[in-house]
Amino acid sequence: MSQVLHPIEQKILKSLLEKQNLTPEELCEKTQLSIDQVRRGIEWLKFKDLVQVNESEKNFVTLGKRGNEALQKGLPERQLVNYLKLLPTSSCEINEAKDQLKNEFSPAIANAKKSSWIEIYENRVMLKGYHDTTSEEKIIKLIASKSPTAVSLDVIEDKEALDLLKKRPEFLNFTSTKYTTVNITEKGIEVSQNAPSEATDSSVRRAIDVEAPAPVVFAAKSHPLTDVIDEVREIFVSLGFSELVGNSTQSSFWNFDALFIPQDHPAREMQDTFYLKDISAKSVATPNQIKQVSMAHKNGWHYDWNLDAAKKMALRTHTTCVTIRALADQQYDDARLFSIGRVFRNEKVSYKHLVEFNQVEGVVVGKNVTLRDLMGLQMEFYRKMGIKKAKFWPTFFPYTEPSLQSMIYNERLGKWVELFGMGIFRPEVTKPLGIKNPVLAWGGGIERIAMLRYGLDDVRELYNNKLGWLRSVPKCQ
Amino acid sequence: MPVVTLYFNRIAKLLGRKVSREKIISTLPFLGLDIEEETSDHINVEYSPNRPDFSTDYGIATSLQGLLGTKLGMPQLKIKKGTHAIKADASVAKVRPYIIAIEALDGKMDDETIRQIITMQEDLHNGIGRKRKKVSIGIHDLNKIKFPLVYKTVERTYKFIPLNSQDEMAISEILDKTETGLAYKHLLEESKKVPVIVDSAGNTISFPPIINSKLTEVTSASRNLLVEVTATDKNAAEDALAVVSYTMQNAGFKLSSVRILGPRNSTPSLASRKILLDPVLVNNTLGLDVSTSVMVKSLRKSRLNATAKGKQILCLIPRYRTDIFGSIDLVEEVALGYGIQNLEPTIPQAKSAGQKNRVTVSLEAARSTMIGLGYSEVMNFGLAGKHTLYDLTKRDSSDIISVSDSKSQEHQILRDTLLPGLVDVLSRNIHESYPQKIFEIGTAFYRDNLVGEEIHLACASAHNDVNYTEIKSILQSFLKSGFDIVSAAKISSNPLFTQGRTADIVVNGKNVGIVGEIAREVLDNFKLRIPVSGFELNLTDLMF
Repeated sequence: MSQVLHPIEQKILKSLLEKQNLTPEELCEKTQLSIDQVRRGIEWLKFKDLVQVNESEKNFVTLGKRGNEALQKGLPERQLVNYLKLLPTSSCEINEAKDQLKNEFSPAIANAKKSSWIEIYENRVMLKGYHDTTSEEKIIKLIASKSPTAVSLDVIEDKEALDLLKKRPEFLNFTSTKYTTVNITEKGIEVSQNAPSEATDSSVRRAIDVEAPAPVVFAAKSHPLTDVIDEVREIFVSLGFSELVGNSTQSSFWNFDALFIPQDHPAREMQDTFYLKDISAKSVATPNQIKQVSMAHKNGWHYDWNLDAAKKMALRTHTTCVTIRALADQQYDDARLFSIGRVFRNEKVSYKHLVEFNQVEGVVVGKNVTLRDLMGLQMEFYRKMGIKKAKFWPTFFPYTEPSLQSMIYNERLGKWVELFGMGIFRPEVTKPLGIKNPVLAWGGGIERIAMLRYGLDDVRELYNNKLGWLRSVPKCQ
Repeated sequence: MPVVTLYFNRIAKLLGRKVSREKIISTLPFLGLDIEEETSDHINVEYSPNRPDFSTDYGIATSLQGLLGTKLGMPQLKIKKGTHAIKADASVAKVRPYIIAIEALDGKMDDETIRQIITMQEDLHNGIGRKRKKVSIGIHDLNKIKFPLVYKTVERTYKFIPLNSQDEMAISEILDKTETGLAYKHLLEESKKVPVIVDSAGNTISFPPIINSKLTEVTSASRNLLVEVTATDKNAAEDALAVVSYTMQNAGFKLSSVRILGPRNSTPSLASRKILLDPVLVNNTLGLDVSTSVMVKSLRKSRLNATAKGKQILCLIPRYRTDIFGSIDLVEEVALGYGIQNLEPTIPQAKSAGQKNRVTVSLEAARSTMIGLGYSEVMNFGLAGKHTLYDLTKRDSSDIISVSDSKSQEHQILRDTLLPGLVDVLSRNIHESYPQKIFEIGTAFYRDNLVGEEIHLACASAHNDVNYTEIKSILQSFLKSGFDIVSAAKISSNPLFTQGRTADIVVNGKNVGIVGEIAREVLDNFKLRIPVSGFELNLTDLMF
């Protein structure tokens, strides 16, 4: 089946069959299409290889300041001739000519001599004979006749005279313009000759160019980070974990004290944690929970624990406050729980730090759970995320012991990067809250995973909401 | 986290035998050290402040020896009983009650040793010392000092020549004019008098926790040192002195005790601690089934002493291991000595199926409904800036909830509404093709007794022909196809929206949100030329 052309394309090809090498403007004139239509048509045809578009440069000339003067008064040598012509002897003293012609004297004498119009003898200039019009004068007139439009250099045939004029300073101004010309290709000729003619019967649907690109529309989508969060959530659920949700604002008691983080710990300082201005919790926990936690601090850290410091409301710095509270309140003997949500750190925003990001944390409570189980769950999670290589190093968290950090191998960066942290809750955390069985805990930031997934080097990009990026991230990969 | 520089040639000397660079680099992470930077002659490692003994290459080498198997068990601290004394006057009780000290004798320090010791001192100040509040350390050239010393308080007019100065300065001058004075003067705010250490010749040797005297300045020529520690917490002071003592001993000094006299004060013993470890706890926690002797060997690799004692293991913990609280910490020491890499992961079976929270399930449904209506999700922060939330939208800011001391202007206020954030997103995407249809589901905060949280859905449409009817129809469709709710709209006014083109959304007689065309003036403030319509709904009210 032969290719169907759009009416715009047909008109352009038809014009080009008649005359090659046309500019878009010339095509407008010939096809009676608008310049936009012509430009669009040329793009389509170019895409299909039916026309070839050439960019070239054209040089133009206009009269310069002295060129315009010459148009009014004649070339310097013409002025000299006209002056001598009117003198009785057709001659004058050199000085007289100098006064008459002023600063055009030198070129006048030089050119008039060259054309043998004058002779100089004993300090006198004498007229010998002259031409009525020179080829240089013709060019000046030609250029003047098109003014103010610039004249293409192609139009001027007498290149020799043009070169002479070029040598005269300020006579001519040169400009150049880039322009586009369109030529029909072999394939274009063939297609345009075989193109079916437009249907005239209005009941028949006009054939259209089914191969032409259609307008771009964007599918509405969830945010790429949401997709990663959802994926993480699904994996936790598939590993038998049930989801907890909790508030972003928490008392320091659950965010810090219940986790055996001493009240003078650097992480609790305002430069690391966001505290709500002028808001303190009225009650934070049961009297027994408060008593037991304060005892753990006194015994472990040797200081006077302060209830008011525990009441300060903070933006949670981790989701562990949600899990520990659920463990304390529900007294699970056997459970797998997880929590995903925003956490906050009072940091300077940079390519690797945000003040607010998402964290996931999972806990396993059970009589016989072990550190090896924790490592196994971690490996299983990574396997489901498509991460093949992972290893463990020891690390430190105030509320877990032993504590490990996991390193995963990033194929794109070709190196090991730190991902989730994990550990077993310290007895100083579990005992005061009446939690009898060991608790395995693990978690970390989700943005890190999203960065690896989408190949980002700057974590801020996840929250820039650049529609260009959001629209371009493939949904189905 | 603090950083330590390890030169390979020094580490090799400290390890006492040749160990390949690769081996060192691959072993350090198994001590919990993160390698920050690697060059041809040194590496920088980050350590956790709970291990103050890692603040020098000496401490790290001690632990490395254990993991490499070159030296096992607890390093012995040898302190000769000295004759010198410091007397604490009763007056210091109110400002900085405790002082302890040790002498380090017959040593030699090159530039790198001095640098390591200074870094240690700074790290101890910041960590155990809580920025000198709890503990501060002064190191002096012992030969310049005439014992006995007195630790007492003086008036702020008291004068001496401090370090880095040629002239005598009054205490008040030091606090107001020197860099360290300004940085730490708040620590002495509560007391009129301030503590100093004075020797028997009447020379001031230190003004803790601010600055030492010029007189006792340590140089690479110093052979004998006095290390004094002043503190508000006696235990923390001993923690710091223990770390310093082990470091000095490792650096080749001989230690000699300094007697401490005075009320509430006493000479520190820096003795190691005994903890009984139950092997059952070790195996149960780690998921191992190893013998007591394997555990003993592992503990010794972690540079602790351990011996089987009946069914238990008796562990001896050197004083500098301030991170060890009890048995569970020793379990970790077993794990480290055994080798984390030797622990094979096991996958425990779940006893029941997991499930998502019902809130999550509902929000996922709301999200997919919005996507079905052709809107794309964006994400903003809950902690936002006042400029976007209030100034540009002309909203009343009397009820804002703000956080203290934010490092960023853009993150100071807990948002009470999501829609201004969406207008802001549109304003940053004017170069992208239209129509732009976006939504966000997220937490909004409000003041109740404390602070309340609810989940909002906000939605905005921007294109040349957008109007009230279009966005209201999206809102109606969302409520109808999402919840089978028929909503009513009641004319209202709001500075964010155009007067006469905005309404409250009412469901079952309750106000659950607002819909309308964004006011021209607000769009101008956001430098948006395209019209925008939007709505915001309180999903918490609708769903739960």
